[in-house]
Amino acid sequence: MIGVGKIKQYTNVLDKPLTKGKQEVSLSAFAFLFSELVQYNQTQVDNIGELERRLEDAGYAVGARVLELLCHRDKGNRRETRLLGILSFVHSTVWKVLFGKVADSLEKGTEHEDEYMISEKELLVNRFISIPKDMGTFNCGAFVAGIVRGVLDGAGFPAVVTAHFVPVEGQQRPRTTILIKFAEEVLHREARLG
Amino acid sequence: MIVCVAVVGHQNNPLYIQSFTEADDALKLHHIVHCSLDVVDERVNNPKKSGPLLNETFLGLLYPIENFKVYGYLTNTKVKFILVTTDLDVKDADVRNFFRRFHAAYVDAVSNPFHVPGKKITSRTFAERVSTIVKSFGLTSAV
Repeated sequence: MIGVGKIKQYTNVLDKPLTKGKQEVSLSAFAFLFSELVQYNQTQVDNIGELERRLEDAGYAVGARVLELLCHRDKGNRRETRLLGILSFVHSTVWKVLFGKVADSLEKGTEHEDEYMISEKELLVNRFISIPKDMGTFNCGAFVAGIVRGVLDGAGFPAVVTAHFVPVEGQQRPRTTILIKFAEEVLHREARLG
Repeated sequence: MIVCVAVVGHQNNPLYIQSFTEADDALKLHHIVHCSLDVVDERVNNPKKSGPLLNETFLGLLYPIENFKVYGYLTNTKVKFILVTTDLDVKDADVRNFFRRFHAAYVDAVSNPFHVPGKKITSRTFAERVSTIVKSFGLTSAV
């Protein structure tokens, strides 16, 4: 995401191809904007749960729009109806557009049938953020969790998405995991489709 | 001659309806668009084996009524685009091209952070782009 892309000038705006999506945004500009977003929300709320919910709502709006844009730009004429299809779409295409690389890993939960996890060594949004001790388990990755929830909701897979820190031995900073828990109806539909 | 284009949300709520004739039959056009929603649902839920694939976006000619033809297009987020036209010979490629540009205009309108998803599209830019696309549809298909 570092660097500034060159923009070719088109005379007619209808000729501008929607597929030219390689324009980059500077990382520091985004980091400043995100830190302001977090600070602004911090002044408006009283507790941590509310702060997390607000960040998630902000991410939800982004996710809905990203889904529309990507489906038109990259997906051609296909509509995702299968669970694995939409998960791999989020894991590779969405991550690539937002963060410039695919997510580190996609895993299926072992305890419950409806849980999936996308993990990342370090989320881009958390790169310049350190959480003070008295905020407990708060994770600014709630913004990214909101984006994932927006994408899944728009595609017809209602889910509850949360972000967690998972400590890894041998590394100072813990790994971040996005936990996706699908709603009942999604599993029923998936079972019906076979 | 394109008579009307419509964007319908995923709960079958109308997001944008625009007619391009001078006649005052907006109610009839609304009715036609509404009926076509049933056809879209039927196509999506019972896919014909020889018809389009289960997850294809362009639905093709939905049904003819009076002297109109109704074409449908379904996006990934269950948002439907309906096109009502009076042309007798309409090439498939033209309609697909039209829907592709219409989808691009729709994506730009939805990317607006002030647009609430689920509410009507009030952007003037979107309306202008749609009328441009509609005008150029008539030109390219004229032989």
